[in-house]
Amino acid sequence: MAHIARKSSFSISLIPKIVLFLCALISIVITVGIAFILIRESYLFFSDPEVTLKGFFTGKQWQPMIGRFGFLPLLNATLTTSIIAMSLGIPVGLAVAVYLSEYASEKTRGILKPVLEVLAGIPTIVYGYFALTFMTPLLRNIFGDDVVEIYNTASAGLVIGILVLPMIATMAEDAIGSVPKELRLAAYALGGTKLETTVKVVIPAALSGLSATFLLALSRAVGETMVVALAAGAGPNLTANPFEAAETITGYIVRISGGDVSYNSVDYNSIFALGLVLFAITFALNLISRTVSNRFHQEYE
Amino acid sequence: MNNMHTFLRFGDASERAHHIDKRRRSGLVWHALFISATALAVLFLMLLLVSVIDSVFGYAALQNEVEPSQLIPGARSVSDFSRDELESVAEKHLSAGILRRVQYENPLSERSDADLTRLIEQYIVKPRVLRTWGLWDSLVNKDVSLAFVEANEQSYLVFRNWLSPAFLVADQSADPLKAGIRTAFLGSLWIILITFLVAFPIGVGAAIYLEEYALDTRLNRMLQLNIFNLSAVPSIIYGLLGLALFVRALEPLTSGAIFSGVVDNTANGRTILSGGLTLGLLVLPIIIINTQEALKAVPDTLRMSAYGVGATQWQTIWYHVLPASVDRILTGTILALSRALGETAPLVVIGASTFISVDPSNIFSKFTTLPIQIYQWSARPQGAYRNIAAAAIVALLILLLVMNSTAITIRNRLARKKRLAS
Amino acid sequence: MKKIVVILGLMLVLSPLFSGGRQETSPAVTDADGHAWMEGPFVHGLPGVNPLKVRGNIITAGSSTVYPLSERMAERFKEEGYNGTITIDSIGSGAGFERFTVAGETDIANASRPIKDSEIEAARTIGRLPIEFRVGTDALAVTVSKENTFLQNVTIAELSKIFGSATRWSDVNPSWPNQPIQRFIPGTDSGTFDYFAEEVFDKRVEPMLSATNLQLSEDDNILVQGIKGSPYAIGFFGYAYYAENADELNILSIEGVEASAEHVDDGTYPLARPLFIYSDATIMQEKPQVAAFINFYLSHVDEEVVGVGYFPANEAAMDRGRAAWLEAMQL
Repeated sequence: MAHIARKSSFSISLIPKIVLFLCALISIVITVGIAFILIRESYLFFSDPEVTLKGFFTGKQWQPMIGRFGFLPLLNATLTTSIIAMSLGIPVGLAVAVYLSEYASEKTRGILKPVLEVLAGIPTIVYGYFALTFMTPLLRNIFGDDVVEIYNTASAGLVIGILVLPMIATMAEDAIGSVPKELRLAAYALGGTKLETTVKVVIPAALSGLSATFLLALSRAVGETMVVALAAGAGPNLTANPFEAAETITGYIVRISGGDVSYNSVDYNSIFALGLVLFAITFALNLISRTVSNRFHQEYE
Repeated sequence: MNNMHTFLRFGDASERAHHIDKRRRSGLVWHALFISATALAVLFLMLLLVSVIDSVFGYAALQNEVEPSQLIPGARSVSDFSRDELESVAEKHLSAGILRRVQYENPLSERSDADLTRLIEQYIVKPRVLRTWGLWDSLVNKDVSLAFVEANEQSYLVFRNWLSPAFLVADQSADPLKAGIRTAFLGSLWIILITFLVAFPIGVGAAIYLEEYALDTRLNRMLQLNIFNLSAVPSIIYGLLGLALFVRALEPLTSGAIFSGVVDNTANGRTILSGGLTLGLLVLPIIIINTQEALKAVPDTLRMSAYGVGATQWQTIWYHVLPASVDRILTGTILALSRALGETAPLVVIGASTFISVDPSNIFSKFTTLPIQIYQWSARPQGAYRNIAAAAIVALLILLLVMNSTAITIRNRLARKKRLAS
Repeated sequence: MKKIVVILGLMLVLSPLFSGGRQETSPAVTDADGHAWMEGPFVHGLPGVNPLKVRGNIITAGSSTVYPLSERMAERFKEEGYNGTITIDSIGSGAGFERFTVAGETDIANASRPIKDSEIEAARTIGRLPIEFRVGTDALAVTVSKENTFLQNVTIAELSKIFGSATRWSDVNPSWPNQPIQRFIPGTDSGTFDYFAEEVFDKRVEPMLSATNLQLSEDDNILVQGIKGSPYAIGFFGYAYYAENADELNILSIEGVEASAEHVDDGTYPLARPLFIYSDATIMQEKPQVAAFINFYLSHVDEEVVGVGYFPANEAAMDRGRAAWLEAMQL
């Protein structure tokens, strides 16, 4: 469509195009900038004689001050909180999505959708406050003070689950809603109940969109910072017990940069190396998510 | 033939009926499950809001450093003092330095009674918080609070609204009774302004290019994909980018040093400008994607008609396409800005200040923001800080509500005008 | 379309309105007006300060231990009429020195340990000669939760095991519970951390940092929160943070000596340490507001230090600081 427009003389009509193209290019500059900075500082980090790639990926202790550079404890904490978050967010979010798209009346949808939007718009710091002042005491009440530490990954994980819930519900609802009506009608015609149609026909049909949703939600949970900064803990800890305190990748970055690192110290460089890992993980998740949703999207066009 | 098939597979009529019943029943069970999941989601929201609001009101057990009865025998509170007593107590008991300042700003004799009362309470009586309780506890378990006050001599209960007008305009302070969010609030506003100035022109510009001008080439598809990926990058990565780029590398610019003739500042890139630029980069992809959607929604017939009467591409965009989509663009931008308002992690990484006593005066000022203030107060173990953190959260949520409502109103207003015009 | 432009224009024009409230009145004033704030009676040998007449901004950063004290002095400075900007960042003594001696960003460095020679060298390369001002004394508080029933006193030897090699309480003393020790200590940028390493571990940081169940933070509030949470938790930080939370924490006596004003004064409390602020003569002269604030600090800190939760430094040390101030100002 763009090239049907009348082409006037050279200079005038090209100026807007060039300016706007430069605006669009800035987005590339940002990506390049992020990649460049992360890689350069990570290079500085890895070129420090005490740091080895093998040690980084397999080491079990993270304490840069005394030369321990194994990032497994941080990764483990990140995974623990994310998995707990997904265990809460995916079932409930999916159920909400199914309810909204298949069962709810117009009136109910009219009430529920704004509720989800409100939940989605609440800043993460509020969730952090909630985790520390409500969820942790609740867990301590249920499981006992001596089982649940005051900083723990379970509390953070559950609250992150609540945090991603609206996102999962909305996107899953979109995915389910975009399954053509014909499929449902065909199932009903064959005598299926609403449940059977939904579970055996609609959801499998929407599977690509749903997978994309879950991957994006996981990526969001992995990148979440404030909830873990307030509630999960301030020390790296390689443990399988979610009731113990453990610091995640994002929590560590925030703690160190909040404490103001000296430039060119190994601490400063380490937050960029970790940032690179984080970027890689979320980038991979996002990419897979888009590929999955694109691939199957065409099937029903 | 068919009958036998059905008979073999599903049994006779009663078995069929039984089977169908079972299916229907499990359908009902799952229906109930779906509803309860939705109820759970709503419950979470309620819990969140209720637990915050619970901390905004409640009893506080206070203790005075100097009892009013020690100042004027027999008086139970400062509001019992007569005018003469107010003036004489203030003059006698205010410390030399504070008295000097107070007299300088406005002599004691010319101040109102309420003003003198406030001064005496703040600088002489000096109440201190011993314990606080939430709204629920205050209403339902009042006897616990009363018992505490009994047990601690000289302490007394007040019912306190932590989200008072005083809270909104007060400075940062170490004392939870005196602390307020003004500095943080202004910091947030300044940063959002910079974010807007950075992200809006560039974002809308990029979107216009991608929607109106770009051919479906590989470069442009890559640009598009790149923007989608950027919008899903964790916010803390933008913080790292901002730290390395704006705070460190571009320090002469962001600290105002190159404008040093105009601005009095030391070399330090942790300024509002850096914060605004970083958040600007963060919301840029969101604004681009949203604007693209808005532009896509403009029907092609509009463009075609404009070309039909001889307009250039730019004229079409500026005079026809943009006005037709401006409502959605503005709405989306405001929503993106309200997201930026709630961002904490990138600004912590950039280095917002812990204690700031004066409001930001220009873009090269150090800053703190509302979410960061909430973060700092939440981390403090003393009970009273929970209360003011909750109050600050409510203030933040109200601000976001106002922004979102404005966005929706603008969209409705402009959409209505569009409908009327067409 | 025009409406949008108008709205945007209005926003730009109205933005200065956002700069309401108190602001800096004017940039730093030098020389001629520089000492206009000196008035009133001498306090402890220093010229009196009238904060109403102090102009300009003051930038400080450093120890989280000194932070509550500096915060209180800054607040009092404001209460008595100072109208400028004071920023205090609580980032740890090490980071504070970094900003003061390497980046040259701050006017005053707050520290809970003396400046190192390497830091003095770094300052020299940017043209600064740090001057030390003693402002108070901290009795490092080793604390446990109120629910901890088995610990009232520790020896330094026990401390080195508790915060070092031991995994469970019973490893250190068999009569203590067989539970893992949960440790909450200041981060590595913290002067408190350095001090503890020096006193208990003979300057070695490795034992503390390779201990199990370890949480570190520059923010002492996070440590308090953590220790409150379990009877098997233990940590240490400046006394003021204990004083603020005295109803939820128990402080241990060290080698049988309690942390009290007299034990700090006579030196019997083993973990008493000095608190400092550092500045430089050139800064004090170029930015008279910094000199004014330091003067104010040194004149009045004894009145505030106990309220904040620390202990006054002995007179001799304070007088040294005051003499250093007079010398820096060439008075």
